[in-house]
Amino acid sequence: MNFYNTFVKQISETKDFPVSASSLKEVRAFSRDVFEKIDLPQEQKDELVLAIAEAAQNIVKHGYKGVEETEDRMEIKISLKDGQLEIGFFDKGKTVVPENVQHRKLDDIKPGGLGTFFIKQIMDAAVFKKDQKGWVNHLVLTKKI
Amino acid sequence: MTYKVTEEGNISTVFLNGEIDMDITDKAKEVILPLIESGKEVHINLKDVSYMDSSGISVLIESHQKALEKKTKVIVKEVSKSVLKVIMMAKLEQILNLE
Repeated sequence: MNFYNTFVKQISETKDFPVSASSLKEVRAFSRDVFEKIDLPQEQKDELVLAIAEAAQNIVKHGYKGVEETEDRMEIKISLKDGQLEIGFFDKGKTVVPENVQHRKLDDIKPGGLGTFFIKQIMDAAVFKKDQKGWVNHLVLTKKI
Repeated sequence: MTYKVTEEGNISTVFLNGEIDMDITDKAKEVILPLIESGKEVHINLKDVSYMDSSGISVLIESHQKALEKKTKVIVKEVSKSVLKVIMMAKLEQILNLE
């Protein structure tokens, strides 16, 4: 709760997490803390938290598919500048081939394959950047808010 | 996540609680799917579920499909506003039995 009703127009916060399904709760907590400082409707904050959690889940589920346990960490950076929200995800999992990142067709009702669809519904863009800076993958989600 | 199961006749009601994500979907499936396998009508009560992601939605789809296969029924009950939004985003409100 932002008791002082003082919202920021610019922000940049970064946190890293163990690559594990059990980190997803912490990812959501971090995201909620950051969005608490930004003046946005609660419904939109909830959507953004979902998009971030889905992208983090993709790292755990697909980037480390077949890996039982890892000491690797993933980093999430949430930035807001000039009304543009940018969320960066850095990981050292398997190299992502962007063309292969597809969500399933919605009328093909089956478990799985919805996370990427949710991300695309919520965000304006999702792009894998080539500036990994020591990481293997760098996904950037953006949205004008 | 915590859960509680109540039985009344052929209906088992699973009350889930908390946030449903990838970390707890195996546990949720372990609770729900055997009930469906045994031919029971299963009610999944989500009134105390404040958050659900695509993994949670997958549990609902899998439960629904397993029920069709076993010729029984899964009803998703008391869905909170935030979870309903995710179900609608997945365009499943016409597929799942929501009450």
